[in-house]
Amino acid sequence: MNRAGPAIETLLRRLVDIPPDFLDEPRLEVGGRVHVAALVNDLAYRHGKRANAVALSRFDAAQPQAERNRLALAMIAVWLLADDWFVGAQLAHEDVLRVLDAGVAEMAAATPAHKFASDPDRREELVRSVLARLGFRPAQETVEQATDRLSAVSSTERRRLLDASRSAQERARAVREALVRKAAEESADKFTRE
Amino acid sequence: MNASDPTDKDRYPTLTDAGRRMLRHMIEHPAAPTFRNKSGNRLTAPEVEALRDFESETLTAAVSWRPCEPPHWVPEFMQQVFADVPHYRTLGSLPRRFEDVPTVDRGDLAADIARFVPDSVSTERLINFRTTGTTGQPLLVASHPVVAARYLAFHKRALRRFGVTLSHGRGQVGVVLLGHQRKCFTYVSVTPSMDESGLAKINLHPDDWRAPEDRVRYLEALAPEVLAGDPISFAELARLPLTISPKALISVSMSLSPGLRRLLVERFACPVLDVYSMNEVGPVGVFDAAAGGHVMLQPRLYVEVIGNDDRPVAAGQRGEITVTGGFNFCLPLLRYRTGDHGVLVQGTDAPVIAALSGRAPVRFRGGDGRWFNNIDASHALASIPLSRFGLHQEVDGSLVLRLAPQELRWSDSASAALQSLIAGAVLRVDAIEQPDKFVQYTSDLDTALA
Repeated sequence: MNRAGPAIETLLRRLVDIPPDFLDEPRLEVGGRVHVAALVNDLAYRHGKRANAVALSRFDAAQPQAERNRLALAMIAVWLLADDWFVGAQLAHEDVLRVLDAGVAEMAAATPAHKFASDPDRREELVRSVLARLGFRPAQETVEQATDRLSAVSSTERRRLLDASRSAQERARAVREALVRKAAEESADKFTRE
Repeated sequence: MNASDPTDKDRYPTLTDAGRRMLRHMIEHPAAPTFRNKSGNRLTAPEVEALRDFESETLTAAVSWRPCEPPHWVPEFMQQVFADVPHYRTLGSLPRRFEDVPTVDRGDLAADIARFVPDSVSTERLINFRTTGTTGQPLLVASHPVVAARYLAFHKRALRRFGVTLSHGRGQVGVVLLGHQRKCFTYVSVTPSMDESGLAKINLHPDDWRAPEDRVRYLEALAPEVLAGDPISFAELARLPLTISPKALISVSMSLSPGLRRLLVERFACPVLDVYSMNEVGPVGVFDAAAGGHVMLQPRLYVEVIGNDDRPVAAGQRGEITVTGGFNFCLPLLRYRTGDHGVLVQGTDAPVIAALSGRAPVRFRGGDGRWFNNIDASHALASIPLSRFGLHQEVDGSLVLRLAPQELRWSDSASAALQSLIAGAVLRVDAIEQPDKFVQYTSDLDTALA
């Protein structure tokens, strides 16, 4: 975060104005429309590079259903990174790919991708995370301010997600136990039995 | 008895003296079978009232959607499911189009059913129905006493289509559910929304009775308004010298052959309903020859017929039956692939699934090198009153027709019915060895999947 980046408002605005095509369904093993690997390759080209096949394979249409949210967020991140400021910043190709791959995967693990476009706090988290992973901070902010703000937006969310994940696990255990405990045949009548 | 075992108060919370007398009548009749298990409606008084409302809505609501046009309630349903069901939450954002929702199948449910139960459903009264389906893959279906009781509304809707209105109430037996297996879950209960009419689930297998002829005496004494079962138990029922006059027979679980249906209609002089039903969804449709297939029964169930790419197939094409919605609030289904196949057509009063068959289509090679499929085979054998049959092709191209042991007398006519299809291929007839569910159509040829 040592380098000053663009005004954060510009990038937040860009996310607000995201074209509907970038919120369409990523192409997966079955279903979907948008070939995310092609989008990533276009982005690399816009940044003056070509992505190799190995890097692109993380975004190709052979991905299973479980990767849907990651690819959907990658599409949003592609839109963000296609901003003129990023294109003019002479970013290292590997760093851009790392943001799109590991960075996106981490954020997509438990938050629906489109929230990073529709929810103000998640928009800010995405913009600040992308800038930080590329070594930048928003213009007009000190390193301390940028660090504090990123930590605030992401730690609140992380805490929420942790709580949610903990209660989801407890809930799943309770459901499984309840189902095993009560065989329906012992407890409810149906007019016919399949 | 264990302290945690359910009591009669748990099983029948609204039981009156009349209901108690009905239970005693069904259990203590001199010809009664051995009842091996216990069950109950588990319904509270407010739930019984709510069921009456549900029933009147179900009986009057139209199934108003048309093939390939998701009904108006689907977007809100999708939103609820993506917010409330763990499996869908992990998929991420709500897709903008219904057909972009990834499908799920039995394997997904079997892997962890808990991920498909909405967070808003209390675990306190959660129950399960265990099913093995035609694949043998075990599955626990999350359910609730109210969900189980709702079946009656859909059966009444199906019966009404054939001019039957149920009227048995206090002091009468409403339904007897039939099984015919070596091991069968059997019990008695009462249906509170039918003024505690009796419900008995019995096994026609002689081992469950003091004397085989008690089956007739008992059924005559109960004189149920409806008999429910599957083609196997109905084939056995037809062999008994009964004089009862039920208002209808309802067959579920397996497809009922036209031949057996005709035999049952003649034998009992009442409508014989073939209901397409599964534990995951409940009763989906009832067969009506005049409508050309199974007419949809659930006003809040949307059905698609889709291909391997998760997209609806073209109008009139065959594909996998995939359902959305349903009445089981413990297991809201969103594009659930049932594993069954058919053609979706618009009927006069509701959509219809034509040419319904379980599992993926299988094709068989005739002796002349031409292929025929499982539907052809079903059609060829339709006029023979078989409770079930299977067809298998060996790697050398020979065919094996499997019939129930007690129906081997139909071997010659069944073989003759298949001759024009198999065109000289070697055919032998074997008995079905597995008495439980088995895969009806199979082939050892690599190119058999149509």
